[in-house]
Amino acid sequence: MATIVINGKKHEAREGEIAFQVLKREGIDIPSLCYLEGLSPYGSCRLCMVEVKAGGRPGLTTSCNLTASEGLEIETETPQVVQVRKVLLELYLAEAPGSKKIQELAKKYGVATTRFTHIDTSAKGDRCVLCGLCVRVCGEILNVGAIHYAGRGTRTSINTPWYETSSVCIGCGACEYVCPADAIDIVDQDDERIMETWHKTTLKLKECAESMKRFATERVVDIVYAKNQELLKDLKDLSPDARRRKKAAQFIFKPKDK
Amino acid sequence: MKMMTLAHLQKIKTKGLKSFLPHKVRIAVGLGSCGIAAGAEGVYNVFHEEAKKNTLDMSITKTGCLGFCGEEPLVNVSRPRTPLVIYRQVTEDDARAIVSQIMGNKLYDKKVFCKIEEMENFIQPEGIKYGTGYADIPHFYEIPFYKKQKKIVLRESGLISPESIDEYIAVGGYANALKVITSMSPDEILKVVGDAGLRGRGGAGFPTATKWGIARKSKSDKKYIICNADEGDPGAYMNRNEMESDPHMLIEGMVIGAFAIGSDEGIIYVRTEYPLAIERLKIALEQARAYGLLGKNSSNGFNFDIHIVCGAGAFVCGEETALIASIEGESGRPRPRPPFPAVSGLNGKPTIINNVETWCNIPVIMAKGAEWFSATGTSGSKGTKVFSLVGKVSRVGLVEVPMGITLKEVIYEIGGGGIKGKKIKAVQTGGPSGGCIPASLFDLSVDYESLQKTGSIMGSGGMVVMDENTCMVDITKYFLSFTREESCGKCIPCRRGLEHMLGILEDISVGKGKMSQIDELKELASVVKSASLCGLGQTAPNPVLTTLRYFRDEYEAHIRDHKCPAGVCKELISYSIDAESCTGCHACVRVCPTGATSGEKKEVHTIDKKKCIKCSACYETCKFNAVKVD
Repeated sequence: MATIVINGKKHEAREGEIAFQVLKREGIDIPSLCYLEGLSPYGSCRLCMVEVKAGGRPGLTTSCNLTASEGLEIETETPQVVQVRKVLLELYLAEAPGSKKIQELAKKYGVATTRFTHIDTSAKGDRCVLCGLCVRVCGEILNVGAIHYAGRGTRTSINTPWYETSSVCIGCGACEYVCPADAIDIVDQDDERIMETWHKTTLKLKECAESMKRFATERVVDIVYAKNQELLKDLKDLSPDARRRKKAAQFIFKPKDK
Repeated sequence: MKMMTLAHLQKIKTKGLKSFLPHKVRIAVGLGSCGIAAGAEGVYNVFHEEAKKNTLDMSITKTGCLGFCGEEPLVNVSRPRTPLVIYRQVTEDDARAIVSQIMGNKLYDKKVFCKIEEMENFIQPEGIKYGTGYADIPHFYEIPFYKKQKKIVLRESGLISPESIDEYIAVGGYANALKVITSMSPDEILKVVGDAGLRGRGGAGFPTATKWGIARKSKSDKKYIICNADEGDPGAYMNRNEMESDPHMLIEGMVIGAFAIGSDEGIIYVRTEYPLAIERLKIALEQARAYGLLGKNSSNGFNFDIHIVCGAGAFVCGEETALIASIEGESGRPRPRPPFPAVSGLNGKPTIINNVETWCNIPVIMAKGAEWFSATGTSGSKGTKVFSLVGKVSRVGLVEVPMGITLKEVIYEIGGGGIKGKKIKAVQTGGPSGGCIPASLFDLSVDYESLQKTGSIMGSGGMVVMDENTCMVDITKYFLSFTREESCGKCIPCRRGLEHMLGILEDISVGKGKMSQIDELKELASVVKSASLCGLGQTAPNPVLTTLRYFRDEYEAHIRDHKCPAGVCKELISYSIDAESCTGCHACVRVCPTGATSGEKKEVHTIDKKKCIKCSACYETCKFNAVKVD
């Protein structure tokens, strides 16, 4: 346990916690785009910046890779922090003019318009903010790595190799799930899942043997069941709802036949 | 393999001296990249041809760069017990004449530059002794370009052959590494480097011993040391020369450092755009391995080897975490710090990354001791620094000066002031991460703190001189377009902040700027500086901030008056012919690509502004200065 000071007040930090986690847990407002519990800190969005007053290198720093060690004193609303945040959000509005979520985030901090017109988003579209969450989730958590940063500088985009349909994508949809800007489009149509954003990579959806509902891609089901073949053999062809019904049925008391 | 012993080293030294100071004429041709660019390879071949043709027993060898790049090809000739004579701007014809004069025991007066009778080389007590004589020839340190220099790192560049480990050993090389490894403890070495006050020469100037100490303390089964030879600043080529002219100096520094830190693996990350440096390093590494100076050593358990990793063309890979990512096989994108590489770097292990020049300072620090080293320089900046003095200055090249020398001394006494009598306006230090320092501040001392106070930085050593014909808006646009192009794109302030700032500068340079944009530039510059993930973004606004601070009048002229005072920004200038000066020689008409200039011979000519594309060919051609730029 360590005691850190946030905006003049003492807070307890658990062993190994980073400042950002303490802020979130204590309900202190701090914006971020590229932070996700379970992923190593990335530091790309720059929105979680705080000002260190004591107990570390003084000045502005990102809180997502700042250890909450004993004696740390940080401020989240100094004039400099507020000003940097505002300008960053203005840049984000220029980066993703087509993203409602980004517009809402900016509005929350009093930023409704942007002065930054000399921005060319043609390499990556008008919604992606290049936070990298989709890349890191696909790579570090799913261990698939179907997408990554492509290009450099202002020509950067999140993409598949050679900007073609992906041969390794499993269609889990984690990328769309974590995207903070709603920049990824996935469409389920009949028995197919079309990853629109990944050059219309198309995967077959699995149909539930009982309810005929299409609940996941065949690839995802195969991967999941490859880990526990014996244990889950009888559930393999069922949707989550059907599985629940089946398992629940085991526990319903059946009176003995007379 | 057994590590070399001091006794064996002494034997090689004797052998090496026979090569370096032979009992015959020795001709050494400056074959660094600058010399080669000036035609030295042809000169080298001619010397070989002439020697063969006349069946002369001479030693003809390659050497590195003496630093005075503006006088290349430089050739030095020695014969036993006489001073070394250096010839300047040697052509192939000159080479033939030199050989012919040598045969008659004479000098080729036309191209004689200076002599060296003896040279203190710091790494060994006895120095390098050639001989006395030639009273009429100025000594090396009497030449204005060299007078105020203090060649410590570049002590034998341009004298020894960079492809001979024997010659390096002949002048004292590797003796200090062996002494240190066999008689000092790592902590003792750290103390010497610490007391010497060495600061990183890559630009940030972090105390070297402090960084080493962190890695030394980190408990790990594996530690790495890396030499950052990515040198990306436009106009900076100090490290290139250090590797091309004296690669063993770098290796010796890394051997000592590896021993002090506890590392068994060293990597030299060198940019692919330095093929000659890579070639010379490879040769040097092979030679060091053959002598047991690198590799697995059964004798004392100190195993250390170095391998080369080449960059792939990204400026950002000079940033240490991006460099590490690149070595690991990923794209060169920086990573957030903490954790710092000294704690968790390459493959998550403690890693020390230092610039080429930092490593090169280590052997001489161990040879002469901390007190000697710290006697040079200022209280906060010890030792010497190699700068690439380039741009609009009379004498260009690589200069090694003690910290604390003034900008004025470097630019005027060493550099010889402006070209063709033009007035010098500013000097840009630190490359795209640095800033433009106005001439009014040239009395400043060249040291880390002093340059930082101006808003610039020492950087890796680039010093670009600018004169009255340099437009500060244009030069800022140049540096910003460089950093914007090289931005990795990972974080938004650098990726988009620089893009928008460049857009504003482009507006200003074509006369579409607004005064409110100056405040917008300042605001964005400050956010990019404080919010960027790595040093590239954090320092990219410096050219903008320094030029706004010192040359705001030029910005205002562009915006308010739609004029470019230096006569550079094409949209804002126009060319015209001064009727009084024009002689009607018709030379401008001959070079004009669009037919904009016209006139009858022997009569005043005119320029049709509608056709003029401002290529400035007429301006450069006119011998009567009749073409005016408004």
